[in-house]
Amino acid sequence: MRSIDQLFEKSARALARGTSRRSLLAALGQVLTGAALIPLLPVDRSARAAEPASPPAKPQAKSAKPATDDPKRCDYWKYCAIDGFLCSCCGGSSNSCPPGTTPSPITWIGTCHNPSDARDYIVSYNDCCGKVSCGNCECNRNEREKPMYRPSRNNDLNWCMANADSNYHCSVSVILGVSEK
Amino acid sequence: MNTMIVRAALLSLAACAPLLAAAPAAGPAPAPAPAVTPVPPPLPAERLTVTAMPPDNPHRIYVLDEAFVNEIDARVDLFDGDTYVRLGQIDAGFNPGFNFSPDGKTTVVSTTYFSRGSRGTRTDVVEFTDNSTLKPTHEIVLPPKRAMTMPTYFNVAYSADGHFVYVSYITPAASFGVLDPAKNTVLDEIDTAGCVLVIPSGLNRVSSICESGSLLTVTLDAQGHEASRAFSDAFFDPDKDPIFAQGVPMTNGYAFLSFLGQVYEVDFSGAQPAIRKPWSLVGAAEKGRWRPGGQQIGALQRHLGRLYVSMHQGGEGTHKDGGSEIWVFDMTTHRRVARWPLAPQKIAPLLAIQVSQDDSPLLFGATDHLFSATGYSDLAVFDALTGQLRHVEKKLGQTAWLILNH
Repeated sequence: MRSIDQLFEKSARALARGTSRRSLLAALGQVLTGAALIPLLPVDRSARAAEPASPPAKPQAKSAKPATDDPKRCDYWKYCAIDGFLCSCCGGSSNSCPPGTTPSPITWIGTCHNPSDARDYIVSYNDCCGKVSCGNCECNRNEREKPMYRPSRNNDLNWCMANADSNYHCSVSVILGVSEK
Repeated sequence: MNTMIVRAALLSLAACAPLLAAAPAAGPAPAPAPAVTPVPPPLPAERLTVTAMPPDNPHRIYVLDEAFVNEIDARVDLFDGDTYVRLGQIDAGFNPGFNFSPDGKTTVVSTTYFSRGSRGTRTDVVEFTDNSTLKPTHEIVLPPKRAMTMPTYFNVAYSADGHFVYVSYITPAASFGVLDPAKNTVLDEIDTAGCVLVIPSGLNRVSSICESGSLLTVTLDAQGHEASRAFSDAFFDPDKDPIFAQGVPMTNGYAFLSFLGQVYEVDFSGAQPAIRKPWSLVGAAEKGRWRPGGQQIGALQRHLGRLYVSMHQGGEGTHKDGGSEIWVFDMTTHRRVARWPLAPQKIAPLLAIQVSQDDSPLLFGATDHLFSATGYSDLAVFDALTGQLRHVEKKLGQTAWLILNH
């Protein structure tokens, strides 16, 4: 019985981990990037994949298999350190803010592994701001996330903090390019 | 019209016919009348009142519900661990921090409001509430720099004598505000060179955690301005094994737990923090497999010398996972003295734990709403001496991430 409990807990944790708030991370890190600067970053965009088509949101049943190609699911590969609500479930997409909201000009940068092409991608985790929290598709993943004394790797901070309207609505993960090793 | 009247009369007779047929033919004495149930007197008129707060007791807790799904509506719920009754509420706005005055009579909330509810002009403010009435007493408006982040002991805090209140600022440049709660003024803003949060000590010292793994300690003068500052040596590795930003209050300082389970006890009673030799929550076989996790990952019963830690099985990236077990440690011997699994009691993983400081201590735990059957944060109440589950308060809040008591 106890092993069943543990199995259940493990699968539930794995599921939730695939789902969070303001995020992230790694390889590049240390950089507070203005959204306006993102297009100027010297990264390879050739491998930038088109956004996969988004099927309707599914309930995240505990027995469901990881759906790494579904940007409405927390276990989508680009969300490896998002802690918040997925903009894909709030009228936006994995790389666009919902109508009427404003992207955060500051954020943090991380790296997520795409199992489909076995590449690591540098991603920018931006928050979308100016409306109350979306409340849909809460996702809490924290790969290589660090506490707030390392802000460039922290997803607990409200990255809408410097916006004219600093209310937090949801989070996106924007591919900047392939992480060259 | 007459026809209708006649029809109605006939229909009435027809309807009564079965009853007439069933009636007894003449005869025996009528059945005794049924006993009459006395009608109770009417309820007295009521008078609308406001419930007074009961006297304080050591089993009262203050639970911060971040209300993450509608994040402008955070609140602090007061709950009694003896009667399992919700006592009242202190409103807390958006992404708040909160703490108590040294005498425990006042709750201070640092928060943000928008002029149009969810949007508009931002006002950062600290609000003071009388814990004996739950009425706000006064406030101090801040510059719009308050750290909007997870609640800890160190988002807003009092000096030991209550003369200063410190508020953490992140814009994302890091600094802190020094406030005079008696005169309702902001005395100064102190730059912290990238170090964050306000760990108060003594009458006039504030320490902050730095990205390098050290502590910055700023000493203030009597007017709340910086008199001196000093950095400690780095005492943890923020890359390989960072400490949680949340601390565990000790008698003379705080214990900080690392992601992998190291315990750094920091004595803040002197002019500069003194870091004791770290020790580990996990044995060699457990390291990297079992680890602390959640938001408020530990609590210390100071008289018993018992450290309670919310532990789970998991690897890198699971530091915000709630605990599936409570591990209990002796702070003197550093030995684990108990291990209380939660799943057998149908308790979802715990994100925040707290213990009372009396002779019959209670351990409180708030569950992760993502795993609670209710979809909310439930509150579990345990006997802190035995681990026996005493009560589960379902749906105490939406997302309860910090439990304080005094």
